[in-house]
Amino acid sequence: MQHRMIRRSGPLAAMAAGVVALAGCAQGDVPQSTMDPKGEYAQTIFNLSWPVFLIAGVIGVVVFAIIGVLIVRFRERPGHEETPKQVHGKPTLEIALTVLPAVLLAAIAVPTVNVLFDINAEPEDALVVNVTGQQWWWEFDYPSITGDDGLPLVTANEMVIPAGQQVRLNITSRDVIHSFWIPKLNGKRDAVPGRVHTWNLHADDPGEYWGQCTEYCGLSHTNMRMRVIALTSADYERWVAQQKTDARAAEDEAAALGEAQFKSLCASCHQVDGLKDAEGEQIVAQPQTQVYNGAAPNLTHLMSRGTFVSSNFDLLRPDCRLERDDLSVNDPEAFSAAYVEGTSVECLNKTQLEAWLRDPPAIFPMFVDPTQLEATDGKYRGMPNLNLTETQIDQLVSYLQTLK
Amino acid sequence: MSDITADVAVASSHEAGADHGETGHATTTGLSNNKLGMWLFLGSECLLFGGLISTYMLYRGRTQEGPKPSQIYDIPFTSISSFILLMSSLTMVLAVSASKHGDLRRTRLWLCATAGLGSLFVGGQVYEFTAFYREGLGFTTSLFGSSFYTLTGFHGVHVSVGIIMLVSLVAILLRGRIDGNRAEVVDIVGLYWHFVDIVWIVIFTLVYLIPA
Amino acid sequence: MAIVEQPSGPLALRGPSTVTPDVAYGVFRRPVATSGWKSWLFTIDHKKIGIMYGATALFFFLVGGIEALLIRLQLAQPDGKLLSADTYNQMFTMHATTMVFLVIMPMAAAFGNYLVPLQIGARDVAFPRLNSFGFWAFFFGGVFLNLSWFMGGAPDGGWFAYAPNTGVPFSPTHGMDFWVLALQITGLASLSGAINLIVTILNMRAPGMSLMRMPIFSWMILVVQFLLVFAIPVITVALVLLNFQRLFGATFFSVDAGADPLLWQHLFWIFGHPEVYILVLPSFGIVSEVLPVFSRKPLFGYPFVVFSGAAIGFMGWGVWAHHMFASGLGPVSVAVFTLSTMFIAVPTGVKIINWIMTMWGGRLVFTTAMLFAIGLIVEFTIGGLSGVTHAISPSDTQQTDTYYIVAHFHYVLFGGAIFGIFAGFYFWWPKIFGRMLSEKLGKWNFWLMVIGMNGTFGPMHIVGLEGQSRRNYRVIPGMGVSFWNMVETISSLILAVGVLLFVINVVRTNLRPRTAPLDPWDARTLEWMTASPPKDHNFDSIPAVHSIDEFFHRKYEEDEETGDFTKIATAEEILAEQEAHADAHMHLPSPSYWPMVLAFGLPVVAIGLIYNIVISVAGALIIILGVYGWVQEPSVADDSDYGPPGDATKELAAVE
Repeated sequence: MQHRMIRRSGPLAAMAAGVVALAGCAQGDVPQSTMDPKGEYAQTIFNLSWPVFLIAGVIGVVVFAIIGVLIVRFRERPGHEETPKQVHGKPTLEIALTVLPAVLLAAIAVPTVNVLFDINAEPEDALVVNVTGQQWWWEFDYPSITGDDGLPLVTANEMVIPAGQQVRLNITSRDVIHSFWIPKLNGKRDAVPGRVHTWNLHADDPGEYWGQCTEYCGLSHTNMRMRVIALTSADYERWVAQQKTDARAAEDEAAALGEAQFKSLCASCHQVDGLKDAEGEQIVAQPQTQVYNGAAPNLTHLMSRGTFVSSNFDLLRPDCRLERDDLSVNDPEAFSAAYVEGTSVECLNKTQLEAWLRDPPAIFPMFVDPTQLEATDGKYRGMPNLNLTETQIDQLVSYLQTLK
Repeated sequence: MSDITADVAVASSHEAGADHGETGHATTTGLSNNKLGMWLFLGSECLLFGGLISTYMLYRGRTQEGPKPSQIYDIPFTSISSFILLMSSLTMVLAVSASKHGDLRRTRLWLCATAGLGSLFVGGQVYEFTAFYREGLGFTTSLFGSSFYTLTGFHGVHVSVGIIMLVSLVAILLRGRIDGNRAEVVDIVGLYWHFVDIVWIVIFTLVYLIPA
Repeated sequence: MAIVEQPSGPLALRGPSTVTPDVAYGVFRRPVATSGWKSWLFTIDHKKIGIMYGATALFFFLVGGIEALLIRLQLAQPDGKLLSADTYNQMFTMHATTMVFLVIMPMAAAFGNYLVPLQIGARDVAFPRLNSFGFWAFFFGGVFLNLSWFMGGAPDGGWFAYAPNTGVPFSPTHGMDFWVLALQITGLASLSGAINLIVTILNMRAPGMSLMRMPIFSWMILVVQFLLVFAIPVITVALVLLNFQRLFGATFFSVDAGADPLLWQHLFWIFGHPEVYILVLPSFGIVSEVLPVFSRKPLFGYPFVVFSGAAIGFMGWGVWAHHMFASGLGPVSVAVFTLSTMFIAVPTGVKIINWIMTMWGGRLVFTTAMLFAIGLIVEFTIGGLSGVTHAISPSDTQQTDTYYIVAHFHYVLFGGAIFGIFAGFYFWWPKIFGRMLSEKLGKWNFWLMVIGMNGTFGPMHIVGLEGQSRRNYRVIPGMGVSFWNMVETISSLILAVGVLLFVINVVRTNLRPRTAPLDPWDARTLEWMTASPPKDHNFDSIPAVHSIDEFFHRKYEEDEETGDFTKIATAEEILAEQEAHADAHMHLPSPSYWPMVLAFGLPVVAIGLIYNIVISVAGALIIILGVYGWVQEPSVADDSDYGPPGDATKELAAVE
């Protein structure tokens, strides 16, 4: 029987081993690990969590050991016929064993409540970022930073923050409930339509931190991913300066053709600041007429990001991505500098971008089936297949790669 | 929801239980199975109305479109209909008392009176709903509309089911005499009726009288 | 009033309780079959209803299990291609809904229905026809829910159905309509069942059986039924709101109109957390019966186990918001619910300590039932401890909606509820069917399930902490979790083989029946003090109860000086004595069509609400017919319907 006990406590042992193994893992291997904190809040939570894991583990081992002992000691043996003593209970023992866990829990409760209020407190001098979730991507805007167009700076799916600085998030949603979660920086907080929830972020070092929506939000919930990019203060200032600018008009011929395509096919949903119509007026995306949840990502500085389509696909070619990931782990400063450079034409993952333009719902499930739109007044959610020709795709790619 | 009500009413009026209850065997608690069942059902109903009332209270101040509660309630009218419903509890008490004394004629009379007063109340509610609708408060107009009609509608359905139970009881009592079992059925229907009344008192106070 | 005249002697006792169809009530004559499928369909015998609950729940267990396997196969490797995102979302919604509402809850109803009257020394439940209605409402509700697969798509909003994602714009198929209506129907089933069992337990105990002498399983069932009585109306409110939102354009969850989506979460979890205890307490009850029998000792600290069960029942109402720690309630509310959640671990811990102390000093017999019971203690302890780790609300913000939570509640619900149910299968099978399940196959069944479940759900702790999010239709490449996901999938197949062995065991015992001894386990409680399977009227004479473990004390006598127990009677002797002193008059309720007719009307109304109101009218007519027939028909056939057993068979023959 004893060996069975060992087998039964296997998962716990595996868990302990897993925990140990995790601690030794390189950052890049488990990009959403909660056991590898990289910022103040995640660290505070982790410091609270692991002693509780330890206590729980010890209690578990003690309980299983007792069960193991009694299985061996009190099993029925041949010749063991007499009826055991009919013990009905020992109230003192019972009360002691009730009070003991209660005291233990009370002891854990004190630091728990402390940490709870700590991580919710509003930090001083924080950079404020508004986070808006919608099916199935994240929009980030910086209310304290105004761009050339007089509107707050806005970006999608990659939130850029200065490392070492406190960031205050105001989280909400445009449609259903989502949840914002960057495991290495902090726990999660739901984005609820009609409510604004505050939450904090802090990253110790520059680097790229993965996250994803963790409240089930419909068809492509899985693909609603995002990243937080922490930069050195200097690089962050460079990034802000660059984001403030409008897109320039296309210069070469292919890009100009692409720009024309973009205006007729894409600009009704995707805003590009600085994109002018025939009268020289800014083209404003008014997607609400077609898409259920509101705006589509602003593409003005698409090539300043490393990923696209809710951080599901790399804008960087695989080799360039490997290089950048390596920097993120081993040389945070260099990573920071490289990120601000954006995605160069040489490093652009054209194959991926073309595949996306060819048939978006095929590689990212979205609610765009025309036969199902009756229930939603004809409104779709996500990007439909525009049935582009290869020429159109080439032209659009030429244009998109100018959006630095 | 009306199904539950009907079902339990049925159960309480005729379910004999396997070995206890109707046959006169003593139950462990001393309460008959049917009566205990009705008490439990009413306990459950408390949470049903609790949920609906909470929903209303949460939403009544959030109306963006359409009439607001204060603009639309006709307190004198609803007070009168509430009074009528309250009086039906009195007649119900009289019916229960008459049935306990084996007075078949008066039992029928008071049951009819209770059903009649209940019908008046439901009629008043129908009138009220119509008036509100004319003033622009549809079911889908606003949170107030949705939660008001759902809450009071549920209550109205409960009253209606009660009326059906009362009428059926009168029909049953048209034949034959009144014995202990039948008196208990009157008693149990009475429990249900009083409950529905009390719920209305709560609704009237919270929904109509206390301003948002 | 039906009275089965009961001359003494075993022969007469075998006579079936029959009814003659002299009088027609409504359009039907009363059902009279005492054997064959009709005797099952229209039965109001709590034992047959219990078995039907169990069989239906077992069927849905296989359905939900297949759904689980499809989920695991999809997640075996990153970017699995077996299921589309849409199908996957339907799959996990239906897996959870099926397992919670169509498997564990009705399985508890199965054991409760079958065993409670036997354990408390009653002849049936308080409202036998209501009991039949409850079963059929559950049955039709379950079938109705699964119809959605064939009618444009199953529900896809998750079993928690968070608004506004379950509104029409975001879930435009009829799947969620099926879900909302099916749960209202099964809710009616649970509510009617709960009222029935509470009245039965409070009112119909054998003489001498005070509440504190009641078998612990009946106690846990009592607590659970109270939870149901108060939890079902809360989810009914939530379901009604969503129903009106989807079908009639109400605005309860329309954010544009000013609605607060958190309303749904509060209503759902005020139901949902007591629901967790509704699922697990019956199994606690089963284990608390099995452990004493196979330890040859009474349950240690019976009053503590009873009161901790009741305490869990009460405290279970004050912890719901721990499902919402990330919802943005504000730190003060979160702190309150953190504390209440941490302290609900105390009464749960009390139970585990009592089970261990029950075994301590005993003479342990490792039957399959006992193995499952010990398995429950171990697996539930893991689930309970991981529960404490995310009661710590700051930690929970990292863990909620990850596989860590999936691991936690599968340890609680599979390692807890399902293991308890399996312990119950092996323990009571000889009682219920009079046949033994193979112990050898049973042990294979147990060990494969233990290995399978730990292999499936154990690694989920790790991948959860590594940031694998729940309800994802694919394993995202590059997350560092592929290895453990493969392990989980392989283990889930082992688990499936384990469950399959149980099915094989059941089939085998039917093909090659092995008659069970009357008291195969040397059991302690009243349900064993009757024939196996029990006669229609349960007990020849209602026993008078003098202590907890009444049956044990009739078999064994205590030496007043040494305190040793020696066997003084066998089960056969006790039963023979009962027969010799059989009660003269027994009243048994008679079969009826009406509960089934009434229950059948419910899904018809529901289908009409979705597709065409005319169908609803037809359904309403069926319901009215059912109510009318039910009211017209006395619950027991009239005196004139009965003769002494001998004559009854003659009359039956004349009818046919």
